[in-house]
Amino acid sequence: MDFNLQEDSPEMTEFRKEVRAWMEENMQGGEHLRWSASWSTREDEEEYGFRRALGEKLGKKGWLFPMFPEEYGGAGLSVDHQFVLETELSRYGLNLTHIFYTLARIVAPVLLHWGSEEQKREFLPPITRGEIVVWQVLTEPQSGSDVANCQTRAIRDGDDYVVNGQKVMVGHHLPPDALWTLVCTDPDGKRHENLSWLHIPANLPGVTIQHMHLMMGIKNAVFFDNVRVPAKYLVGGENNGWKVAHTHLELEHGGDGRVGTDPVVDRVVDYCRNHDVGGKPLIDDPHVRDTIADMILEINTVNRMNRRIFWHRFVKQPHAYGGAQFRYYQRMVRLRNGERLQKIMGADALIPDHSVHEVLDFEYVIRSGPGQLHGGGTLDTDRLIFARRAGIGRATKEQAPDTV
Amino acid sequence: MDLRLNEDQEMFKKVAGDFVQAEAPTTMLTQQFLKKETFLPDLYAKIAGLGWLGMLMPEQYGGAGLSYLDCGVVFEELGRGPVPGPVFSSGVLAAQIVLDGGSDAQKQELLPAICGGDAIVIPAIGDHGAHWGPETVATTCSQSGDTLTLQGTKRHVYDAGGATAFLCAVRGGDGGVSVVLVDRNAPGVTVTPHTGFMVSVSEVSLDGVQVPAGNLIGSAGAGWELLDKAAEKAIPILCAYKVGACQEVYEFTVQYTNERRAFGQLIGRFQRVQDHCVELSIHMDRARMATYETLWLLDEGMPAEAGIHESKAAASEGYHQACSYSHMVHAGPGTDYLHPLMVHSVLAHTLYQYLGTPDYHKRRMVDALYPRT
Repeated sequence: MDFNLQEDSPEMTEFRKEVRAWMEENMQGGEHLRWSASWSTREDEEEYGFRRALGEKLGKKGWLFPMFPEEYGGAGLSVDHQFVLETELSRYGLNLTHIFYTLARIVAPVLLHWGSEEQKREFLPPITRGEIVVWQVLTEPQSGSDVANCQTRAIRDGDDYVVNGQKVMVGHHLPPDALWTLVCTDPDGKRHENLSWLHIPANLPGVTIQHMHLMMGIKNAVFFDNVRVPAKYLVGGENNGWKVAHTHLELEHGGDGRVGTDPVVDRVVDYCRNHDVGGKPLIDDPHVRDTIADMILEINTVNRMNRRIFWHRFVKQPHAYGGAQFRYYQRMVRLRNGERLQKIMGADALIPDHSVHEVLDFEYVIRSGPGQLHGGGTLDTDRLIFARRAGIGRATKEQAPDTV
Repeated sequence: MDLRLNEDQEMFKKVAGDFVQAEAPTTMLTQQFLKKETFLPDLYAKIAGLGWLGMLMPEQYGGAGLSYLDCGVVFEELGRGPVPGPVFSSGVLAAQIVLDGGSDAQKQELLPAICGGDAIVIPAIGDHGAHWGPETVATTCSQSGDTLTLQGTKRHVYDAGGATAFLCAVRGGDGGVSVVLVDRNAPGVTVTPHTGFMVSVSEVSLDGVQVPAGNLIGSAGAGWELLDKAAEKAIPILCAYKVGACQEVYEFTVQYTNERRAFGQLIGRFQRVQDHCVELSIHMDRARMATYETLWLLDEGMPAEAGIHESKAAASEGYHQACSYSHMVHAGPGTDYLHPLMVHSVLAHTLYQYLGTPDYHKRRMVDALYPRT
């Protein structure tokens, strides 16, 4: 066994130096930005512009998808390189691929797995190089966790599919370039056998996007009104969408794995060292220390679960229940940590003001706590998936799909 | 990063796993736990024969000189039984105390005997209470010439049943804590097994027990530091044992969801039952991941203090919680002392506070990471 996250082989030591120097250079000019956890839900055009440019620069080097083949916009590197990149980016609180708002980290691997050669060559490079923003648009007013109950229709008409319907609670405050979505291509077909995936350019006539103001920040409703989508944009075969969804949902439901760490505990400790009550630093208060202990135990577990999934994914032995377990636990921990922040900091924790506490805004952790419990499927679907994968009440354990 | 065991460790796992199935089957353990007869001399002799006592000890003292991960792999399998007896308390913890604190002569005399299973040396540290700390040591020690006289009662001594000797924490006239080796058969030593919802725990009373001054292990007054450092090295091995126990509980619980029917279907089809299994798995994996990372840190010689205390908190709490969730799934049948869950349930409660409660170790973890100002 080897749990090392710091020491590398000589080759990787060189690569780490290269990445670190590159990041230092390219993060210049962004020092005054907030770099906070809430970036994707705030309307901060300047920070977003910086992130977008950084994403493109990383993409140009193939570093957004280091393990993807070069012809699809990757760098053709090894898992060790990916590991180095992820850990170096996490020093800045950044996650690989999710530098700016795009769901590329899910869409690109699904396209790589299910796309035709022509589709991969056409669709992948702009996504993997960070040139375009792609949203996943799955949730509908009448189908959330029950994603197979998709009502948005795409009916073949000549060389096009004509799309009608509505998706909700998706995206970000700035507009997308492409929409990655599940549609019903056979309204009379059987459940699970009537769906397909479409990669829809967002500028097609008939696409309308409207802001929704939600607990987590700005999301959108996307309306499709007789949108004519060329048939070549259908990925994975007509009415084969549920199989494609398995790959997509495994990645969304915790199956991708990460090696970066959540910096929340260090931030809390910093706050507790710099604030006192009655002349005594908060960090010396035994109740505060006990609360921090609970945070550490849970955050460490979240991080280790995530790394375990990452490792299993890249040795091509996907962990059967790891993704669902991680996703359920991580979201519950986030919710509990929100309350713990209030226990320690009181109302300070509810103020998104960086003169009160720096870098990571605790207000967002607290506000998004209940909201993030259901993004991409409720806690109940996570536990249901766990049961299938772990063989609870069934003789055969469901296998995790291959997601690399 | 690599989560695989190496070839040797795979072999240790296989040998230990087969041993547990053959020599400590559940049907036998349920009987022994019900009778509270958990020291099994024949089983212990076989374990000694396999070299599983003193796995961490240097070969010159009769040990195996293996790594923490190697040792952890074996203890995980022993925990699946759970194989009772002083394999940890004598073969890991007491051996470590002697190795760290003993004179050359003491090491030569004691360690080969511990590793061979002829001596069973049991730490008897706190006098009372749930905590691990010098404040729990009340037994007094007074010296007259070359003789030490001990007076006090160690209320909860784990694995005292098979002891040939005790390593007693005592308080000298100057208030300092020291460690003294006490023969089980010395006049004034009384071992009284406890009843109640625990196993393998006895009260050891020391009533005017006289031992030679040469039985002092380590320097007078430096006993607590010796015990604490030795315990830190030993604790992750105990955690691996609890991880194995959690794994066993998890597996038979999942299996039960596929056998028991209620309201016309398998109980595993009920989402409430599934939820219990999810929580059980989280407690198990939390303990497993912290423990193995810590064993690796120790092997690498990297700072492991926070990980040691985190593992202890996670494993003690995890084993306890794993059993609670398993009880929710099993309901009535799981409360029968002849059911394997009861073996684990009793042991999880016994080990919860052994060498310090989870809360105590959480505080030590925070102190290691973020010292008080």
